Amino acid sequence: MSSTMNFTLLGINHRTAPVEVRERMNISEARLAGALTDLVHRDGIEEGLILSTCNRVEVLTRAADDVEAEPIMRQFLAEHHHCDLALYAPHFYRRRQQEVIAHLFRVASSLDSMILGEPQILGQLKQAHAVARSVGALNGALNELVLQALAVAKRVRRETSIGAAAVSASYAAVELAKKIFGNLDGKVIFILGAGKMSEIAAKHLLRSGASAIFVSNRTYERAVELAGVFHGTALRFDEFSEQAPKADIMIVSTAAPHYVIRHEDVQRWLAARKNRRMFFVDMAVPRNVEPSVNQIENAFVYDIDDLGQVVEANKKQREREAVWAEEIIQQEVQKTLRRMASREVVPTILALERRLEEIRENEFDRYHGRLAGLSADQRQAVEALSRGILSKIIHGPITELKSGVGQPEQSSLVETVRKIFGLSD
Amino acid sequence: MHVGLLWGAVILYGLGMALVFPAALRGRPSLSRAALIVLGAGLLFHAAGIAVLAAQTRHFPVTDLRSALSFFAFLITLTFFLAYLRYRIHLLGIFMLPLAFLLTLIAALEPGRTLLSPAFRGSWLIVHIGCVLLGYAGFSLTAVAAVMYLIQENELKSKKPRALYYRLPSLEVCDELYHRSLLFGFVLLTIGIVSGFVWASRMWQGPWELDPKILAALVTWLVYLFLLSARLSGYLRGRRSAYMALLGFAVMMVTFVGISFLSGFHGYFPNLGAAH
Repeated sequence: MSSTMNFTLLGINHRTAPVEVRERMNISEARLAGALTDLVHRDGIEEGLILSTCNRVEVLTRAADDVEAEPIMRQFLAEHHHCDLALYAPHFYRRRQQEVIAHLFRVASSLDSMILGEPQILGQLKQAHAVARSVGALNGALNELVLQALAVAKRVRRETSIGAAAVSASYAAVELAKKIFGNLDGKVIFILGAGKMSEIAAKHLLRSGASAIFVSNRTYERAVELAGVFHGTALRFDEFSEQAPKADIMIVSTAAPHYVIRHEDVQRWLAARKNRRMFFVDMAVPRNVEPSVNQIENAFVYDIDDLGQVVEANKKQREREAVWAEEIIQQEVQKTLRRMASREVVPTILALERRLEEIRENEFDRYHGRLAGLSADQRQAVEALSRGILSKIIHGPITELKSGVGQPEQSSLVETVRKIFGLSD
Repeated sequence: MHVGLLWGAVILYGLGMALVFPAALRGRPSLSRAALIVLGAGLLFHAAGIAVLAAQTRHFPVTDLRSALSFFAFLITLTFFLAYLRYRIHLLGIFMLPLAFLLTLIAALEPGRTLLSPAFRGSWLIVHIGCVLLGYAGFSLTAVAAVMYLIQENELKSKKPRALYYRLPSLEVCDELYHRSLLFGFVLLTIGIVSGFVWASRMWQGPWELDPKILAALVTWLVYLFLLSARLSGYLRGRRSAYMALLGFAVMMVTFVGISFLSGFHGYFPNLGAAH
């Protein structure tokens, strides 16, 4: 039985390595299964996992006891990439034993990502786990650890809002729309002019259940074209003013050098729609929506700088949430360590009990003849006496073993107990 | 017995606050199961306390100020509980739970005199007081929704989102909460006032219509009538309608607590009422 979980991790990420190095070290999806098979067939490697994304390449292994896995893993990477790994040495970081646990939990929870809290990493880890399972590279403690990491990531998502706030301008616009309208189902979006940003924002909004109407200030054909792409309807510019009160959200990005939407327009529209809220996203430079529209009650205007400001605030919000996430990870690491340690302790305790009982029975057998003259009562008393002595002796070691769970010196304690009582594996 | 149960509710509400506050302030996506269980248990204790008192006095215990406050506190917690289950806004708890805790504490500290005079019995009276208090609980939720609306609107207009922007629900949800609680409160207050008139016309002779509390209640009713119709017609929406709801809440609290000291019939001082 292994006395410690011999985990090793070797990796590079967006912080330690530039993109040239990351792409050089990337292990493509097509070659992943083969690479894993190669890895776990090397002497001393029991289990392996490879996580290769555009921001990181990480190799994880569990090695047999007393095997130093790192040189084997370096060898594996060098052979796989046909290169001298020493050239890239400064970019690599390595983690050992419980450092691996914390690292894996942080990566899965997206605390180590370039964009804090981004959701893709969880899917990528799931994928890496599935591939490793399918080639039989994960079947023991490392497999459990990866599953645990996925569970921790879910807990972090559930108990913090680390991934909640948008970190791109177009997504921020969608989120603002949701903060204003709640559900976007059935909301009407007008899209004036066509910039790249407004197209992206429109796409996000449409996915949330809104319906789109396209207006072009230049040619009607352009509006029809866009409407075709997004399954919306097109509107002629001269009809726009009349139809505008129907709009809940307007995304404006025309090339016009002046305000297309003015204070008085919006006042009129709001009156026509019984003061139901309107949201204007002004993606144009120079701006197309008169800034004072934001002062009108029930009208909200965000220009491109405002969205940038919201994104900045959102990033700070994610950082605040990350503090709580780190706390959760600390807890989970401790829990995992305790679980692993107690898994080590329980067999030792059982073995110890078995060993002492064995001794007791052997001694009874030896004295069998001389005890034959005792009455049933007396025999029982002797039995009870011998059991009593054993349980007093065993009490101390068991208490020590149990209280040592999760402590750093626990492994050596287990070793000592095994040695003293002559417990074999 | 009834005081013991009330203390149980006080302790559970306090514990509930301790569980809800960190979650709400930290912006955890949901309340822990423990928080819901503790608050649910608090509600059960509170309900049991009210039931025991009702069994002892053989009428629904809302006819003295402290019992009325206790029942009101129960309704506030219940409202929070149900609103949370429906809308998942734990931030409501920041506003509502301390109020409920404090009112229940007052009721537990001094359970008040129970009134046994026949004037304070009768089903019309129970309907009257019960409906009025339910209406008040509804309007309290309206006020909380209005405060949340104002904060969130300010966050959105300022374009510099701070912590509350992330914690508070969307304007639409604040609006919906506002609208529904307003409608509920108004219907219940109307029933409460009408049943009060029926009861008064049977029990009292003389110019009871001029009782300050009745006049104040009518003013409250008119404020909310205006609010509701302005709202339904689309004339008043958003910020100004939220301010109006806060005004309405202030008038309501004056009616509920303040006027009690002026009113003869409604003063919760039975000897004054009985003198007529």
